[in-house]
Amino acid sequence: MIVLLGVNHKTAPLAVREKIFSGCEEEKDLFSRLLSLKGVQEVLHISTCNRIEIIASIEGKEETVRSLFDFLAQNGNLTQEEAEKCLYNYCDKEAVRHIFRVASSLDSLVMGETQILGQVKDAYRRALERNATGTVLNRLMHRAFRTAKRVRSETAIAVNPVSVSFAAVELAKKIFGTLTGRKILLIGAGEMAELTGTHLISSGAEDIIVANRSPSHAAQLAEKFHGEAVSLDALGEKLIEADIVISSTDAPDYIVTADLIRKIHHQRKNRLLFLIDIAVPRDIDPAADSIDNVYLYNIDNLQDIVDENMNIRKKEALKAEAIVEEEIMRYTNWLKELEAVPTIVSLRSKAEEITQAEMKKASNWMQKFDQEEQEKIKVLVNSIVNKILHTPVSVLKEECSEVGSTDIVATVRQIFRLDE
Amino acid sequence: MSLISLGLILFKIVFALCTLSVAGYLLSLLVKRVMLAKISTWILAIAFVFLTVYLLLAVISSTGFHNLGSRAFFSFCALSASGVYLALQFKTKTRLLGAFISPFILFFMIAAAGQETGKSLLPEGLRNWLTMAHLTLTIVGEVLFVLASCAGAMFIIQNGLLKHKKLSSMSRLLPSLSDLDKINHICLLWGFPILTVGIIAGAVSAGFTWERGWPADPKIIWTVSAWIIYGFLLHQRLAIGWKGFRMAVVSCAVFILFLLSYIGVRFCFTTLHDFI
Repeated sequence: MIVLLGVNHKTAPLAVREKIFSGCEEEKDLFSRLLSLKGVQEVLHISTCNRIEIIASIEGKEETVRSLFDFLAQNGNLTQEEAEKCLYNYCDKEAVRHIFRVASSLDSLVMGETQILGQVKDAYRRALERNATGTVLNRLMHRAFRTAKRVRSETAIAVNPVSVSFAAVELAKKIFGTLTGRKILLIGAGEMAELTGTHLISSGAEDIIVANRSPSHAAQLAEKFHGEAVSLDALGEKLIEADIVISSTDAPDYIVTADLIRKIHHQRKNRLLFLIDIAVPRDIDPAADSIDNVYLYNIDNLQDIVDENMNIRKKEALKAEAIVEEEIMRYTNWLKELEAVPTIVSLRSKAEEITQAEMKKASNWMQKFDQEEQEKIKVLVNSIVNKILHTPVSVLKEECSEVGSTDIVATVRQIFRLDE
Repeated sequence: MSLISLGLILFKIVFALCTLSVAGYLLSLLVKRVMLAKISTWILAIAFVFLTVYLLLAVISSTGFHNLGSRAFFSFCALSASGVYLALQFKTKTRLLGAFISPFILFFMIAAAGQETGKSLLPEGLRNWLTMAHLTLTIVGEVLFVLASCAGAMFIIQNGLLKHKKLSSMSRLLPSLSDLDKINHICLLWGFPILTVGIIAGAVSAGFTWERGWPADPKIIWTVSAWIIYGFLLHQRLAIGWKGFRMAVVSCAVFILFLLSYIGVRFCFTTLHDFI
């Protein structure tokens, strides 16, 4: 049986997640302790800022689940009430669904974000290094990664950005193609402008100029980006050089007027200009947008794009859920087939024993044949046995994956007296 | 198998591939998947290779380049259009431009298919290398102008979407404004000198053939007008700094004007260039 226990951003506040996170981090031999719990056969531990989860393959249900529950509660130093409120646990199909959805980023705070898959892979790698996983969890995690890959490639869940700064980067790419060699002018040293600038630079933009009313703030930010700091008086001159302008000052009036843009546009040789105005009240005159080759986006325009992208993600999530269900079916079928494996092994062993015993009995009269003929008889006997066993083994596998193994396994064991 | 029947098979294959790539490009616009445009580009690249082989066979089976049949000539127009487009793909990743240029390529192929096999393109007195060079270079120059205009049309669409603050799936599908402007620039930069040399070759050839230099032929007037406008656009771009939206609008307007006047000239006048 597969079980999954844990907390996430939906069920537990940050303070509780922190406590469990620290408790698990401090635990020196986490995997050995988990594996030493009665009934735990395989185990894996996922720990990120938004979730702490334990996935285990266990024998026997209630007692083992309770011990895993207590383990998490004790590590997080949680009261009984806190634990009952925050910790969730899923069994079998539900557990499989949960881990597939987590790996596919359907359960993330920002649906479709790409980090979680790497974090789940890291968690699996750690468990592998400690030999904490076996057949069941290995297969489960490979299926989870495959599901995540399918969700990413077959849906557009992670395609469109859902943050204002990434939306600005995407727009810049639609205007300039590549951002390599593009010059950014930051007007004001606000946090949002800084974040957008950081994203643009990590996407290839090279030069950055910071223009600010306070020279010390400008110099501080410019140093961070290895750029140039200028005063607001030099704005006109620097606008000629810039390709992307991000403005976020708290000035009450327009800092960049449409007339200023018109005036410098000829000196810019009509190059494309992307203006991002994230200030409230606005820093850039909206009339600038009517100038050819000038593209002005304010915070509302960017937020609209983000909202639209979020809606697209929600629609894509429906397709992703269908993929998850498909993969759950495949995995659970395999899991059911796995239940037939001991019976198949017993059946083959029994057939092998009977064959060996009969061949031994026949060894006297087989003496009259030469060595080559004896080998041929052995091959013939093995072939007949394999052919006879082929159908029951296939039916056993099929029935186990489709209907559930209990009845058919019991019947086969009874018919062939495998338990004697 | 004779060279002619091999050529015919190749022509049919190219025709089928061109049709397939046009369908692929249009479908990519419809379902808004750039992957389909990428596949169509590969199909077009294969068609280009087959078309090159077909034209080589056509040159070998005729008595020389200047004696090329009219089917081969129109195929050459398709070859130059696809060749220029494919070459631009090395410079910019603008697969979707194919959706705009591939119908022109297919149009050339249909025109080629409509020609009688073995019919010579040039009339008896004009079959010389200079006239053929004139035709070839003029066509390549004008194909580059068509491409510049296609890039311009795409620029106008993308510009409209971005100005309306819509980062829609169509906007995501279309190439960036900068790439489209670059294509317009490259096409004008290469197209103008090629067209210039083509026109000079035509003038020299006319001087030899008709011994009266430049007759007032509607198609000649049409081509020279195209050349003048072409030169004007290039001048505005290089010297005055026209870029982006204005260049795109003017390129498209000029292209539509020339297309309409070409249709007028082609069907309403008898010209010295009636063979094309």
